[in-house]
Parts: sequence; structure tokens; C-alpha cells
Amino acid sequence: MSVPRLMLSSLAGAGRFCVLGSGAARWKSVRARNRRGLSDLHPQLSPSQGFRDSPSWLPKNRSEPRSYITNPKLATTLVQILQKENRNRHQLFLECNPGPGILTQALLESQAKVIALECNRTFLPHLQSLRKKVNRKLEVVHCDFFKLDPRNSGIVKPPIMLSETLFQNLGIEALPWSEDNPLRVVGIFPAKNEKKILWKLLYDLYSSTSIYSYGRVQLNMFIAEKEYEKLVADPQNNLYQPLSVLWQVACEIKLLHVEPWSSFSIYNQAGGPKKSKNKEPLEQINKQNMCFIQLTPLQNLFTENLTSVNYDIFFHMLKQCFMKRHATLMDHLQSLSPVNAVAILKEIEKDGDMKITDLYPEDFKLLFETIESFRESCRWLFDDCIEDIIL
Amino acid sequence: MSAFRWGRGASGLRRALWPAGPPGPLAEEGALSGVWGRRRSLSASPCEQDRRKDWGHAELLEVLEARVRQLQAAHVSEVTVRRPRPARLPEAGGFQPRRKAQKGGEGTAPGLGGHWAQKLDQEKWAMQRRKQRLQAKLQVRAQQLACEHRLRMVPQLLSAPLAERLLRWEQETPRSPWEEQLARLLREAPRRLSCEAERAHEAGGAPARLEAQQQRLLAFLECCLLSGHLPLAHHVLVTCHSKWRQRRVLTLAAYNTVMLGWARKGFFKELVYVFFMVKDAGLTPDLLSYAAALQCMGRLDQDARTVQRCLDQMAQDGLRLQDLFSSVPLCQEEQAALLQAVHKAQPTFSPPLQPQPEPQVNTSPLLREIYAKEGPVSYPKLHLPLWKLQTLFQQQLRVEMATTVTVESVEKAQLLTKEVLHARRTLKQLRTAWVEALCAGLRDVKASEARAARSGRPTLFPYLCLLTERELARLLLQTLQVLPPQGESLLSLAQQLGLRVFNRHAVQKKQLSQVQALQQRYYQYLHLLASDTQVAVPCLPRQYWETLGAPEAPHEQPWPLPVLVQLGKRLAEMLVEVVRMPGSLAAPQGSCSLIPVLYHVYSFRSFRQIGILKPHPAFTQLLATAAEHTLTFEAAEVPMLCPPLPWTSPHTGAFLLSPTKLVRSVEGTTQHQRLLDSCPPAELHGALDALTQLGNCAWRVNGRVLDLVLELFAAKGCPRLGVPAPPSEAPRPPEGRLPPDASPAQKAELRRELARCLKVAREMHSLRSDALYRLSLAQHLRHCVFWLPHNMDFRGRTYPCPPHFNHLGSDLARALLEFAQGRPLGPRGLDWLKIHLVNLTGLKKREPLQARLVFADEVMEDVLDSADRPMTGRKWWMEVEEPWQALACCMEIARAVRAPDPAAYVSHFPVHQDGSCNGLQHYAALGRDSIGAASVNLLPSDVPQDVYSGVAAQVEVFRSQDAKRGVRVAQVLEGFISRKVVKQTVMTVVYGVTRYGGRLQIERRLRELSDFPQEFVWEASHYLVRQVFNSLQEMFSGTRAIQHWLTESARLIAHAGSAVEWVTPLGIPIIQPYHRDSKVMIGGGIQSLTFSHSGDTSQRPNTLKQKNGFPPNFIHSLDSSHMMLTALHCYRKGLTFVSVHDCFWTHAADVEVMNQVCREQFVRLHSQPILHNLSRFLMKRFCSGSRSPQHLKSMRTGKLQDTLKSVPKTGAFDLKQVKHSTYFFS
Repeated sequence: MSVPRLMLSSLAGAGRFCVLGSGAARWKSVRARNRRGLSDLHPQLSPSQGFRDSPSWLPKNRSEPRSYITNPKLATTLVQILQKENRNRHQLFLECNPGPGILTQALLESQAKVIALECNRTFLPHLQSLRKKVNRKLEVVHCDFFKLDPRNSGIVKPPIMLSETLFQNLGIEALPWSEDNPLRVVGIFPAKNEKKILWKLLYDLYSSTSIYSYGRVQLNMFIAEKEYEKLVADPQNNLYQPLSVLWQVACEIKLLHVEPWSSFSIYNQAGGPKKSKNKEPLEQINKQNMCFIQLTPLQNLFTENLTSVNYDIFFHMLKQCFMKRHATLMDHLQSLSPVNAVAILKEIEKDGDMKITDLYPEDFKLLFETIESFRESCRWLFDDCIEDIIL
Repeated sequence: MSAFRWGRGASGLRRALWPAGPPGPLAEEGALSGVWGRRRSLSASPCEQDRRKDWGHAELLEVLEARVRQLQAAHVSEVTVRRPRPARLPEAGGFQPRRKAQKGGEGTAPGLGGHWAQKLDQEKWAMQRRKQRLQAKLQVRAQQLACEHRLRMVPQLLSAPLAERLLRWEQETPRSPWEEQLARLLREAPRRLSCEAERAHEAGGAPARLEAQQQRLLAFLECCLLSGHLPLAHHVLVTCHSKWRQRRVLTLAAYNTVMLGWARKGFFKELVYVFFMVKDAGLTPDLLSYAAALQCMGRLDQDARTVQRCLDQMAQDGLRLQDLFSSVPLCQEEQAALLQAVHKAQPTFSPPLQPQPEPQVNTSPLLREIYAKEGPVSYPKLHLPLWKLQTLFQQQLRVEMATTVTVESVEKAQLLTKEVLHARRTLKQLRTAWVEALCAGLRDVKASEARAARSGRPTLFPYLCLLTERELARLLLQTLQVLPPQGESLLSLAQQLGLRVFNRHAVQKKQLSQVQALQQRYYQYLHLLASDTQVAVPCLPRQYWETLGAPEAPHEQPWPLPVLVQLGKRLAEMLVEVVRMPGSLAAPQGSCSLIPVLYHVYSFRSFRQIGILKPHPAFTQLLATAAEHTLTFEAAEVPMLCPPLPWTSPHTGAFLLSPTKLVRSVEGTTQHQRLLDSCPPAELHGALDALTQLGNCAWRVNGRVLDLVLELFAAKGCPRLGVPAPPSEAPRPPEGRLPPDASPAQKAELRRELARCLKVAREMHSLRSDALYRLSLAQHLRHCVFWLPHNMDFRGRTYPCPPHFNHLGSDLARALLEFAQGRPLGPRGLDWLKIHLVNLTGLKKREPLQARLVFADEVMEDVLDSADRPMTGRKWWMEVEEPWQALACCMEIARAVRAPDPAAYVSHFPVHQDGSCNGLQHYAALGRDSIGAASVNLLPSDVPQDVYSGVAAQVEVFRSQDAKRGVRVAQVLEGFISRKVVKQTVMTVVYGVTRYGGRLQIERRLRELSDFPQEFVWEASHYLVRQVFNSLQEMFSGTRAIQHWLTESARLIAHAGSAVEWVTPLGIPIIQPYHRDSKVMIGGGIQSLTFSHSGDTSQRPNTLKQKNGFPPNFIHSLDSSHMMLTALHCYRKGLTFVSVHDCFWTHAADVEVMNQVCREQFVRLHSQPILHNLSRFLMKRFCSGSRSPQHLKSMRTGKLQDTLKSVPKTGAFDLKQVKHSTYFFS
């Protein structure tokens, strides 16, 4: 890509953030600036005296690097892709961490309504000014999309938010699962904990909580190629794992676009370009492509036997199965369920001698539903693991 | 065969023997020799079998041989049997000859017969032929097997000259004695200098791993010796030695171990082989090696010249002959052999006398009085006569020899319906089948482990041979029985199993060697304690015990943690593989397929997987239906039936046979044990005597309270009173499924409800089983006197060893116990009972004693009502803070006031005195904080002070100031600052609570306040925790400075690479076992296990834990010292004394004496320059420079030195005033 990359400083007019200085000074100035920007959404969040003593609610790793779209050409391409299959031109987009807002602008220009969820305070003023320019077709919220609805229900302080509060404030209504998707999310999975986020989203999806309690929310995300391969792996691929099965069962996965990593810019939380402190892992990522994928939850995901009440047993079953990948289906059936294995095999029309990982995602779903449909009082050998929820 | 069975047999015999007054001496002798004779045969026969196995013969050989023996037994006369034996095996004990003689006797009988003698002869002839055929077959097979895997004897040496020489000598054996060879070997200087260093360098990256491997190999070799597999040990040694890569796991200790094994048996040639290897490895023989060589010579009766040469060489190596006897741990028999050899060369040599422990006296100034010979002493005696105590000892011995105790459950008995009976029958059948299956499985495992060992790897084989298969099988079934329905993690199960095998083995070993000596000594010892005997000089139990004989034999070394886990894991795996049950129990015929009883599943926590063994629901169901009415406990989990053995060293004391450690610690943490072993024995006397004394308190069950509790327990329980409800009371999840069109919110709600029910049910289950164990044990011991042996944690805090039933539990647990020994109430006893009752109610905490007494008299009617009609009356007792103890107290008071003369009423009831915020008391005394001291009752005062109210008041002062200045939070908080809000934080600040934790505590309290505006909780909790800390700073200025100083010192010490160590005022050495986690992985099998272990001293210390742990640990070491001092002085005054950390118990009549002792000892303790002593000790330990200078960079040392030197200044509080403070402990 030959397009000159825009530097953050030139966009945000916040050049001094990039100047190396003591962290504390930088932090203070950020806070001072944000007071104004946040006040209309969160009036109660005036910095209180407690702040100075306890920064414990702040993200642990402040300089977690994130990548941003800074290439206008890429932004245009993406908007074209997104709008191509869209019937409603004024559809609502939820953009995660727009950063300098290149894609945001492109989206706005295509008549879409955009909500920008930015977790980095540094970018907020710039986004706010953008908001004024486009006459409120843009909403800006200081919020980390990937940390919505924390499970260990600690104190919820921005950028960590509850989806309920967020959506209520934005006036978004829940749609039933059978309806079309209520909104589309656009963004980039943070490189560092993609796996964790993918799991969190799965839990939200299968339990119809968090964003998925508002309907079949569609994700349009950039993801590292390697992770993408895992998502779409099948029995022939040795990347095949519970994550693949669960996503393939739950969503229609479409690959929309592939982009080399080099078209993105990386900034750390403080807003400066990424320093080369731990260069190795990034260099590795650099060699990868990023895949722009679309994850649309399937309308027929939930059935009589797979519901958002018993989904965790399905999760657990998959994890158990993949822990012993080389065992046969028969072996697994015996340690999964006290229900007669032969009866189950007959029902799903499979051979007990086949390797467990030769089952396709839909086979796993069928297997689960079959066992669930038995009316024995005890259908699973592990059904008391209900609380073992990750994250 | 099994020790279990033999134990029962023996005890049966014994029951017939001992209580039976004066039986004829002949009969007794006969019976005894029967017992011991049988034992000998037991110990001999497995040994013999095993040895044969090691010489390379496999099972078939055994079968064939057994057949030969069978034939022999059937028909022996003139035929002499030459059993094929490997070369140089000595005869195996007295077993064989005796049997032969018997057979001879039998054999002569048929020879007399008349006409059918011919027929017999014919038969005999036929038999003989068959036998010959068999023998021939046997020999062939034996040779084959021997070729297949013969154990290696001759080492393969790396150094060419050595190897050549070995070969030469080997071939010329007849002419050149091995003794010559040894002498030459010894003369030679080590071939390669510091080969060890070279290797260590080579190992480079993973010294910790290498160390672990070395440890494992060493443990393997030792265990081979124990289980009689010496040739196998030698084989593995030779194999490792011959491979360059494996050689680095060999240490001198490993060679010495094998050498010692050969020496014990008197096998000289093999011993020399090992010496060859030692030389080849470039190691220098040490004292142990020489001890082994000399011992062997002694046994073989070598000539003087050989011995002399060996001794000369030893002298040249700079090793002293005297040290052989003083610093090498050898048993008496070994020493005798050693001495025999030495006497050959130096007939006049006499070994140095064992240093008798008497000249050693504890040096702590605090203990001087305790060990002073002069002055009045009235050590308490037990209330039981000698004969009774002796009977009790026999009972306890029987229990421990049986290793398990079966106790009737207090769960309501099931009606014996057909179904129940059927289930019980099924279970019984299954168990019988399982024992057989497990035995077979164990044989397979052993065979495969033995094969693996032959390839030169240290495997589990010898560990599996320590116990009989049947015993292991039973142990496994016990584990299966108690597995909770939701399963248990494989790791902890493995560790438990390994530990239990070790403990059983230790018991068995003691049982075989020490029981008689123990009994004799214990009977003597009882003269000190019994009510009807006297000893010449009054002394402490430990002192008396020491005068009764030599110190005990060296104790069993614990196995390394990885070995424990590996062994346990192997056993658990076998359990999974082997134990099966019919798939459907409904079908009466066993036609259906078998399903495994245990499953290996995974539980997922975040991204970690935890392997879990889970019983099949059908098995759980079966157990539930059968509702078996017994519980099985390990012998060491039940209180003792006789006074515990006095603690005489860090590993001898408490239970008669079960091994107990003085310092309890996480398994695998060895530093405490090492530290204790290396410190002069006399320094530990304070702790040893205090623990002995705590354990010597006799207890009994409070039957009336137990009855009431059992009544509730059998009904629906009563969670409010601490009696857990049965599972039938658990909340049920809503029935049925949701309609398909239910909203996500409904579904989420359902899920939450399900999860909640499950969680509650599980909690209830664990509470219920806890109570079941406790109550069943109480019921079991209802009519007994029993003892709770004590040990301590690494800071010196004491705990009773039996885990389920002791005085250190909830209100309910405490109420079930009372002193077995009674004391008349005396003039003030009744008043103390009343005051104690009021204390238990928690109602008059801030009233003076007199007011409490008045209150007690006011409510006397309620008290009597509670005592008489606890469940039907006004139930006054149920509403108070500690209901069960209050009830017990009510009953005691009722009995006392109704006695004709209350002062003469004999009371068994323990009365408690609590320190008020004991941690802060110690801090205030250390820092001589006047305000602080007053608030924690170190100053005499008319009414008890309450530090929490004090802090709350101080916080309120700060708040109102802030409110005036317009601070919003301060204004919001007006009227909400109470004692309750700050209490937990103040209490835990001594134990190192941080602002973070403190804020959470306060947040919880604020959330409980319904009228507090909840949106301010976060901010307010933040504000409050800061104010609490400020207030404490204001009131306890010295305290905060000391805490800071301790933390900073610990930080610097940890930074310098050491774990913090100190010595308590009583002289107990303490080390903080916090290191960075070391990971141990055990692969293979159903799952590879990884566990991290924070007690590994080869890792760098964990600075955060070292630093945060030091202040609380230090204060705990002080409060434990105070408790021990009080205990010892009370004992000297003849009082009964026990403690729950900072809560001291004694008889009502003695409360005043105890209180006085407690105050005096507190003053004496703090009159010591504790902080200066600490500073001096730390300086010497960590700054003296000689120690690990490579870690300590000079700048760091300087900083550490400066910090250590600047001991915090103290305030102006006059410590003496404590002596007059009524409410110091009240």
C-alpha cells in the first residue's frame, strides 16, 4: 500500500500525547480533557477524589496495543463490501474502537448511522468533534465493546459497561431471534486475546445474553488469518476444535475480504505509536493477513433440545470430546452419558468406531440433541459442571 | 499375609493375654512366641520371594516352585530337594528349616504302614517322577528367564584402567581376594577432580530438574532396600552408571545407599563393585561409605589386616573414626557389626558414648523458670489409675495397628426394606469381586513396573511392594467409598493416595520393629501420669520419657512429592481401569454389560483443564440406596484413647504408630523440618513441652448436648443453630422445561436458578458430611475419655491433630466437649461460670465483670429454663451469640446451683478467657503505644475497652472535619459510621489486610445498610478505608511503624534472594515457605499432571508473599509464644489448660490463676527486647557476608543493613500495668 499512513497526532490535534514524557503527566491531561467529552453521556462520572488513590479500576495493562484502520482506501473498500449486501441504507452500525475514525467517516458518508464505541480516551475528543460535524448521525461512547458485561460482576466503570445501560442510552430496541439482525458490529479483534473474546462472544450468543439479547447481532470483524482458519476448520483439518464447532453451529461465517496486516496501524493505549518493546509477537502478526469476516447467527440455532438454558452442557460435551481427540465415538459416549450408547448410535446413524473428531459440527449438534431428547433422569455424566463458565 | 489380618489376630491374642491378671508364665511365653514367631515368618516369607524375583526369575518360576513344594509337602521322605538357587544367596531366615523339620516328622509316619505301604510306595514313586520332571522343566525355564533379563551385577566402567583391573580381578577371583581390591581402590586418589562440578556445569540450564531426578533415584534406591529388592537397586545403579547421560543423576548418596544395602547383608563382592563405580565416577568416599565397608567386614569377620588398611585410608582421607559412631545414623545392630570390625584392628577402641541429652538446657531466659529444678511444682496428674491407662493404651494400639476405625454413622437408620438389603448385598458382592480384581490389577502393574525397572529406570516397583496387594486394594476401595458424587480432582486424589500408602508403610514398619519396646516404655511413662502412682522426681512428661530409654530410631524419610503423586496416580488409574459394575442394577441377573464405576472427565476453569475422577451416578445411587451405616476413618483422624506420646523431637510424638510431624505444612515443604533438625534439640524444648501438655488434656463428650444436637440432626437440621440440614431440605430447581417461546430473560433466570440450587445443594452436602463425621465420632467416643494430640504450624500456632472432632471448631463443636477431669468449683467458680455464660451471649461486652454477674442473676430464670427444657421451654439460649456453648453453660450452672454446696460441685466445664484483639495487643506492647494500649485493654480500667468503637470514634472525628470542609462523601456518611462498619478491617489489619481488601470489607458492610444511598458505596468505602487506616495510625503510631519496618526488611531480604527467617522468643526457628512456584510434571497414563509447588527452596523467594506475610507471621509467632509460656506455667501450677489460639480454657475454679499467669507471661514476654533481638538475628543471618555473597550485592546489603539497624522507636507505655488489667484477657 502506497498511501501515506496518517499519523494520529495530525488527526487528533493532540500532538503532545505522542511526546515522550512521564506517564502521570500525560494521564492527568487526558483526564482533564475528557471531563467535557463525557459529561453528556455520563453526568455522574465527574472525577472524584478517590481517583488519585486507587487506579485499581483502570485496565491493568494500559499500553495494550491495538490496531486501527488508518488507510482511507481500505475504509472505502470495506464500506462498499458492507453496503453491497445491505437492503437498508440507513442501517445502524456499531463500530468498535474506531480510533482515528477513518472507517467511521467512510460509513457516515454512505448514509449509515454509526455508534462509535471507543475504549481509548485519547481518541474521544477527536471523535466528538467528528460527531458535531455530521450532525449527530454519529454517537460516541467511551466503552470497550470487548469487555461489555463483565462476568465477575465487579464495579462497572467506563470503559467497562453493561450492554443494558449502553443500549438503553442509545435507544436500541431488542428484536426477537426470528427477526433480521438489529444492528451490525464492525471492528477488529484485538490481537492479544482473540481467543478469549471469541469464547466470550460464544457464551453470550448461546445464552442469548449481552448484545445477543437484542437479537441476532451480526459481527463484521477483522480477524487474524490463523484464527479464521480455526473458526472454519473441519474434521480434515487438525485445527478443528470446540471453537470451530461452536461457531459453525451458531453462525453463518462469510469471508468478505482479505487484507495484509501492513495496512493497519498499531497504537498503544496512551495513543502513541506502538513502541518496539516486545516486537517479536507483533512481527509475527505482521506476516499474517487479516480476514474480514461476517458472523451472522443462524435463525435455527436454538431447537427444542438445544436452548439457552442447556447450552453449557453442549459446550462441555465438546470440550470433553476434544480433550481426548483420538478416542472413538463409542468410548466417548460411554463417558459422556449413562444413556445406552447403542441406542444413541442408532438414533444419530453413526458408527461407534469412528474417531470423535471425524464428526462434523452439525453431527455434534445432532448428537447433543439426541442425548438431550432421552427422558432419563440423568442424561449426562458431567451435568453438575453448570457453573464452570470461563472468563 | 496382610498386616491387617495379622494385626487383628495379634490383638485377639493379646486381648486373651494381658488383662488376664497373672497367667502361668509358661502359657504367656508360649503365646507370645506364637505371636512373634508368626511375625517372623511373615517378615521372612515375602522377603524371600522378592529376592528370588530379583534374581531374574519371573512368575512362572514361582508357580513351578510352588508346585514342587506342594509335592514335597504331600510326600516327603528320603528325597532331599535341591532347589535351584542363584549363587551366593544366604538361607532365608528361620522359616524354611522349621517347616522342613515338621515335614520330616510327617514323613516318617507312613513308613510304618503294612500292606498298603506298598501302594503308598508306588504312589510315592510316581510322585517322585512327576516331581523330577517338573524340576527339570523348572531348571530349564529358570535358565531361560535368567538369560532373558538377568540383573546386572558387574559394573561397566568408563575409566579404561579401572575397567581392565576389574576384569582381571573378576577372572582371577579365587586367588586374589576382593579385600585387596578394595584396599587398592581406596588408596587411589579420585581420578577426576571435582567431576561433580564439571557435571553441574554441564547440566547448566536445569539444575532444579536434575536435583529432582537425583532425589527420585535416591528415593527409589532407598525404597528398594526397604522392600528387599537390593539386587534390583544395584542393577539400576549399574545401568545408570554405564550410561553417560544418566550418570549425572547419580550422587554419592545413591552409591552409598546401595553399598549400605550390601553391607547389611554381608555381601563383600558386590560392595566392592559399588566402590569401583564410586571411584570411576570420580567421587571420594565419605564417612557413610566407610561405615558400610567396615560394617560389611564386621559381618564377614574379616581379618585385622584388611580392616586396618581400611582404617588407615580413612584417616588419610581426613575422616575420624569417632565420627563413624557419632554422626552416621546407624541402628544398634549395625553399630555392633561396625564395632566388631574396628575391634579386630584396634581391640582397645571404644566408641564415644552417645551424648546424653541431659547437659543440654534451653537457653531462652523466658523458660528459665520452667526448667528450674527448685521451687514448688505441682504437675497435674490424670484422674485415671495406672491399670486403666494401660488398658487404654492397649485399645489405642489396637486401633492404630488396624490402621482404620469403623464408626457407626449417626445418620438416621434406613428401614431395612427389601430394596435396601438387596443394595447392601450387591455392594458386598461387588466389593469382594473388586478386591480380587484390584489384586490382579496390582500384580500386572507390578510386573510392568518391574520390567521397566530392569531397563534401568527408577520406577514405582519397590513402592508398590511395600504393602500387600490386598491391603492396597482395600485402601483403594476406601477411597472409592468416600469419593463425593461430583468427583474429585485427580491430582489431589493422587496425592492423598500416595500419602496414605506412605503412612501405612510407616505404621507397618514400626509395628514390626518397635511395638514391644514402645509398650514397655509407655507403661513406665504412665507412672508419671496415673493417679495412683508416684515418680521419684517431679518432672515434665518429655523429660520423664527421655529418662526411660534411648532416643528413638531414625524416622522414616518422607518420599519426594513427585513420587507420592506418581504412585497415587498409578493407583488411581488402576482403580479407573479395574473397578466395574453391571450397567443396570435393575436387572437382577448379571447378564448386562459391565460399566466402569469411575470416570475420568475434565472440568474446565477458564482455559485450564482439571482432570477429575467421578463416580458413575449408578454407583452413587447404589451407595445411597444401601445407606450403609458405618463410616471409616484413618486411625490418625480419630482422637486418641490414651495420652499421646510426649513430643521428644520434631518427628516423634503424638500417635503411637502413625507418623506425625511436629510442624504441619503443605506436603513437599521440607524447609521447616530441615530447620528444626539442624537446631540444637534443647532449643525446641519449650515448644515440645507445651504441645505435649496441650495434648495431655483428657476430654469427654458432653452427652446431653450431643443428644439434643443428634435429635435436630436426625430431623430436619437447624442451620440457624449450626446443625446442617439433610439433602432432602435442599432447594429444588423448578420442574419442567420452559416453553420454546420463552424470552431470553426467562431462560437466563432459569439458568441462574438452576445454578443457585446446585450451589446450595453442594454447600449443604459438604456441611452435612462435616457434621456427620463430627457427630458420629462424638457418638463413638461418648462413653470414653480421649485425648487430642497437638502439633503446630510453622509459626508456632498450635492445632489438634485429629481433623474432624476437636475443640477448635464452631460453636457446636466446642459445646460437645468438656474436660474429662473435674474440679470442685471453689468459692469463685460459680461466679466465673456465670460470667462465662454472659460472655457467650455477647450481650454485655462493654460492661464490667460485676455488671455481667448481676445480669446473669437477672436472667437466672431463663438460664434454668433453658437447662431444663432446652427444646420446649422459652429457648432463651437459642437467641444468643454462641447458642450451644451457652446452653451447655446453662446446664452446668443449673447443676451447680442445685448442688447442696455449689463450691464443692465438681465441674468439668471449660471456661474461656479471650484476648481482646490479641494481635493489636501484641503490636501495642511492642510499640509501647499508650493510646493503643488503653484501647486494647493493656491498661487497667473499670470497664472493658473496645478498640473497634475507639477506631470508629476516631474515624467519626476525621469525618466531621471533612464534612465541615465540604467533602461530599463525608457529608453523605454522616450517621453511618459504626463499630460494625470498621470492625472487620481493624481486626484484620494486624494480619496484613491491604487497602484493597479493607475497601472490599467496608463495601460489604455498607451494602448491608439498607438506608445508605447505594450509589455512593464505592466512593464511601474508599474514603472510609483511608480514614480507618489514618485512625489506626493515630492511635497505634508505633504499630504502624513496626509493621512498616517488618515489611520493608522482608522485602529487602527477599530481594537479596533469601526466605525470611527468625527465631521466636522461645527459641523455635521459623522460615517463611514462600517461593516462586516450581512446576512438576508427571506425564503418561490417563492424563499428565502438572502441579506447582511454592515451597521449593531451590526457587527464588516470592517477594510479595514474603513481604506481606512477615508482619502477621511474626505477630503470630509472638502470640503463640505467649500461649506456650502461659501453658507451661499453668502446668507447673497444676492447672488444666488448653487453647484455641488467643482463647485460653481452664476449669472455672482456676480462671483467676490462669488469668494472672497469662498477664505475667505477657509482661515477661514483652520485657524482652524482641525487636532488637530480631534485628540482631536478621543482621547476623543475612548481612554477615559469608552467606551467599554472590546474591547480595554490596549496595543491597548496605540498604538492608541500614533498614535492619533502624529499629522503630517505641512509645512511653509502661508495660507493668498489664499485670493489673482485668480485661486484658476476659
